[in-house]
Amino acid sequence: MKRKLGFFDAVMMGLSGSIGFEIFVLMDYAYFGLAGPSIILALLLGGLVNLLIMFSYCELSAAIPEVGGEYTYTKAAYGGLVAFVSGCLRWLASVFGASLAALAFARQLSYLFLRIAPVFEVFVSIQTPLIAVIVIIILTALDVKGAKKVGPMIVVTFLALFTIFLLSGLWHGLTPPDVVPKPLPQGLSGVFAATAYMFPMFFGMRALVAGAAQIRNAEKNIPRAIILSASLIVPLYISVAYVAVGVVPLGDFDEPFLNLAAENILPGVGGVLFAIAGMVASLSALGTSIAVQSSVARGMSRDGYLPKALLSVHRRYGTPYVATIAGSLFIIFLSAVGYVEFLGYAASFGSILVFALVNLSLLKLRKKKPYLKRAFKAPLYPFTPIAGVVMSFVLLVSPVFFGDVNAISALMSGLGLMGLVLLTYYLRMVGRHRVQVALGGISLVMGILTALLTYLIETEFLPITLSPGSLYILAFFSAISIVAGILNVTVRTPKIF
Amino acid sequence: MICVRISIKGARKILSTLVGTLQSTLGVLAVIFGYFLYSNLFGLRETSKVPAELLPFYMLILTVFGFFSIISGLFLLTESSVSP
Repeated sequence: MKRKLGFFDAVMMGLSGSIGFEIFVLMDYAYFGLAGPSIILALLLGGLVNLLIMFSYCELSAAIPEVGGEYTYTKAAYGGLVAFVSGCLRWLASVFGASLAALAFARQLSYLFLRIAPVFEVFVSIQTPLIAVIVIIILTALDVKGAKKVGPMIVVTFLALFTIFLLSGLWHGLTPPDVVPKPLPQGLSGVFAATAYMFPMFFGMRALVAGAAQIRNAEKNIPRAIILSASLIVPLYISVAYVAVGVVPLGDFDEPFLNLAAENILPGVGGVLFAIAGMVASLSALGTSIAVQSSVARGMSRDGYLPKALLSVHRRYGTPYVATIAGSLFIIFLSAVGYVEFLGYAASFGSILVFALVNLSLLKLRKKKPYLKRAFKAPLYPFTPIAGVVMSFVLLVSPVFFGDVNAISALMSGLGLMGLVLLTYYLRMVGRHRVQVALGGISLVMGILTALLTYLIETEFLPITLSPGSLYILAFFSAISIVAGILNVTVRTPKIF
Repeated sequence: MICVRISIKGARKILSTLVGTLQSTLGVLAVIFGYFLYSNLFGLRETSKVPAELLPFYMLILTVFGFFSIISGLFLLTESSVSP
């Protein structure tokens, strides 16, 4: 691939990766449910943590300027299981992020209808998950067909929009927010929880690392572009939050937070502009996430961790349709659930764990390969990567200590999925034949237990009432499971010679 | 003798494909049923007379049995592509 992009292009890549739909959807719950006006502190903390983590990305991207990002770094440092885990986490974060983007689009569409056609708004707001699912299907079909995605020109439009918002807000007059959380120190847990929840607003910056192969003089330009992007994003977010908090009091509102703020500042037009911007950002993020998750899945399939079927390419369009559709099914399922707060935390936790692994990879590579050529070195080593790991851990657990049910659900789901990931890796290493025999045994036991259960219900030994149709289904299921179990257990051992 | 062996192999292949398809389908239906039960779509909880306190247990059983059935069925379906 030719390296055509310069420093300015790299900075735009970092900014376009960061400035996205997240600002339109994550600040709502962070402001109204977690930290109130202290979300300004939460954004500052998020920016500092992001900068620590980006130093590690800078060093690793300069030392290993290859396509693959986190997966490549963890593979170089640890190999095997850790690389597989980081790949899976990256995939999960993309899937959760895509679901969140789809729901964000549906919410902004609902708000748009509220402002321009209120008679349809009720229907649209009830059907938010359905709209999200429809959007995912359309974008998946476009991705399979190989349609071009919206380019980084969006970032210029958004910067202009936010500039208008800030200037209008200052002209409008604000109530200066009290950013110090009260009461101290208990209020700090809400700040940390909000930081964890809003963290997806920052980590789009690593899109810059993903595009390393296209950037000229990558060893120097990437670290500089990352630091400059990180330095620009934090003041922008804080300014937008400061103005929004200054015009929207705490309360129980149905409308999205930024749209409400924009409408207060620019009545009649502000909310609509932000709704359109939010919809465009959501669609762009959704399209990118569908492509990223398929790319990560194919990378792991290429390395033998996932089935080879994921590498299949469409005969007519030349696109990885199996990986795209498989991932999109997960995205549809998550979007259909419709829990924005749960998805926000889930997307955040997945990426925070990846960041922790990247920081650990930096520490490992400094020891394992001390003579690797590093055009950029993380300052204040080993403080920065260690601080990055510690802060990642703090951000993971603080919402749980805050008692946020959404965070607890997201963390438990994440741990369950990680268990599946580890099991998948183990099964891959053990070999097909042994796994098939083991599954045969499980299927056989399931069939026998179901048959026994059916018998006990039929003879009224158990106080459970089921219709005759349900009993026939149970009996059929047990018969199929028993036959499948026998077939799997009696599979022939593959000949080695 | 060789013809008998080949026909047994062929019969096993057909049976594996059939049973694998059925088991995977039943597994998918079990997971979907579990989701419908959780969301109480179409008033399924009332229709199935599932007591509220036993709902998590039903869901766990349906999900675990469902996923194991899907994977076991897929192994049978793909057996013909890897067997000599």
